[in-house]
Amino acid sequence: MRNEKELLELINVHLDPPAAEIKRKQNVSVSIKQENLIQALSFLKSHSYQHLSTISCVDWLDEGEFELVYHLFSYDDYINISLKTRIKREPGVFQTAKEIWPVAEFYERDIHEFFGVEFKGNDNLEEMILENWQHLPPMRKDFDTRKFVNDNYEWRDYNGQKHTD
Amino acid sequence: MDKSTQTEIFFGPNHPGVPGNYGINYNFEGDTVTAAEANAGHLHRGFEKLMEERIWIKNTALVPRICVEEPDINEMVYAMGFEAIGEIEVPRRADYIRSIILELARIQGHIFSIGGNAAGIGQYTIMNWGTLTRDYILDIFEEITGARVYHIYIRPGGVRQDIEAETFAKILDLMNELENERFPDLEKTLFENPNAQKRWQGKAVITKEEAIEMGATGPVLRANGVPHDLRKMMPYAAYDDVEFEVPTGDNGDAWDRIKIARDDMLQSIKIIRQLINKIPDGPVQTDLGNGLKYRIPKGDAYVKIESKRGEYGYYMVSDGSLKPYRVHVRGASTPLGLYGVREYLPGTRIADVPVWAKSLGICPPEFDR
Repeated sequence: MRNEKELLELINVHLDPPAAEIKRKQNVSVSIKQENLIQALSFLKSHSYQHLSTISCVDWLDEGEFELVYHLFSYDDYINISLKTRIKREPGVFQTAKEIWPVAEFYERDIHEFFGVEFKGNDNLEEMILENWQHLPPMRKDFDTRKFVNDNYEWRDYNGQKHTD
Repeated sequence: MDKSTQTEIFFGPNHPGVPGNYGINYNFEGDTVTAAEANAGHLHRGFEKLMEERIWIKNTALVPRICVEEPDINEMVYAMGFEAIGEIEVPRRADYIRSIILELARIQGHIFSIGGNAAGIGQYTIMNWGTLTRDYILDIFEEITGARVYHIYIRPGGVRQDIEAETFAKILDLMNELENERFPDLEKTLFENPNAQKRWQGKAVITKEEAIEMGATGPVLRANGVPHDLRKMMPYAAYDDVEFEVPTGDNGDAWDRIKIARDDMLQSIKIIRQLINKIPDGPVQTDLGNGLKYRIPKGDAYVKIESKRGEYGYYMVSDGSLKPYRVHVRGASTPLGLYGVREYLPGTRIADVPVWAKSLGICPPEFDR
């Protein structure tokens, strides 16, 4: 059983991340270059970080980047790692992690649908939640919900009251 | 696979055997499922996008809607994420009250889903009893929070208001009633019922390795003899102050998971009694200033708690403005409802598909959010 400091040492020695820190008790955050990420995932998995909670995507529009966050947990250390990497927003292509965790296929499918990130090696990226979606992926920051509604739907008057935006 | 002997069927999204507006498309041969695919998307409401457009406090009224069966866990993780990023301390009394609310919520969720599971094998009496028993707990919630299902009670910095001593007495009375009257009835009619045993034993097995590999937690993992529970592993609220056991099973089947639900409720009663006995005095809310102008520094946090179906987490990002920059919901049943259906449903007999879906606690709004 490692504590947070020992874990950071292990990570610093083997993965050489640009940034790693203890966020709070039992929570560690590691930023890593995108080309090292898949290797880092399999390294951590073989060091008891077997539980992949989920993969999150954050759209940093101003910086032109997507941030992918892999949340791992160890049943030996009881520590949560948020492994982060940034990829360019255009073209928004990254590697799949489904060789390491088969379940990642569905998390990536979700991110592909809502952010438009392409995962090379994942051949199951078709629509899952939306239907015949022709517009910008909706969770992107430049997708304006209100504009979308105004462009595609009509406001209705309610009980004789005119709609005001 | 010979296509001519295969039949494709749409199980749901409108079917009494599926848990919510969610479908499973499967192929079968004889009466055995040969291939299955989740059919999600009937329920999408864009919670995550909506949260980015609302100020922090407004989202406390939105998040409980993500899961009908267990709304309180959403309020709790949302508040925890806010407090983790903002480094906000919560008064100890509020921690205790949060734990009491979460345990009450766990009991109502379990009793409701045991009813649902029983309905899946045709034991409708149990379903009605489950709904009734849940209603007693909803009465308590109504007294504490003013609302029955969506309480909007746990919020950043603490809880909305204090609980009166009379209400604590009522909770204790109800716990006695559950333990001495309701649960023994349930034991006789359901758990000692050979029909129920036959329908659940050895069905819908998920092994320990499979569960860990796909990220399934809670009763699914614990049914394989591993007592992994976030209340013990990463204590939050007041769980480090109470003693309880984590129920486990041996076979990883539906029967074990339902027995874990029953044992979990008994542990919850034990926890509630301890909490009420030693709850400290003091305030229940940290002063965070004007509710319409909550601001926390730039940062991010992944927070998670143990819902009745396992790990329930939020990844929250703040850019220092009045609204969250990003909130990502990780539901307890996400891996099972999408990946698990495809991988582990085949091989099940048609009549056991509801047993499979319900005993694994699949809650569609968590992935269709």
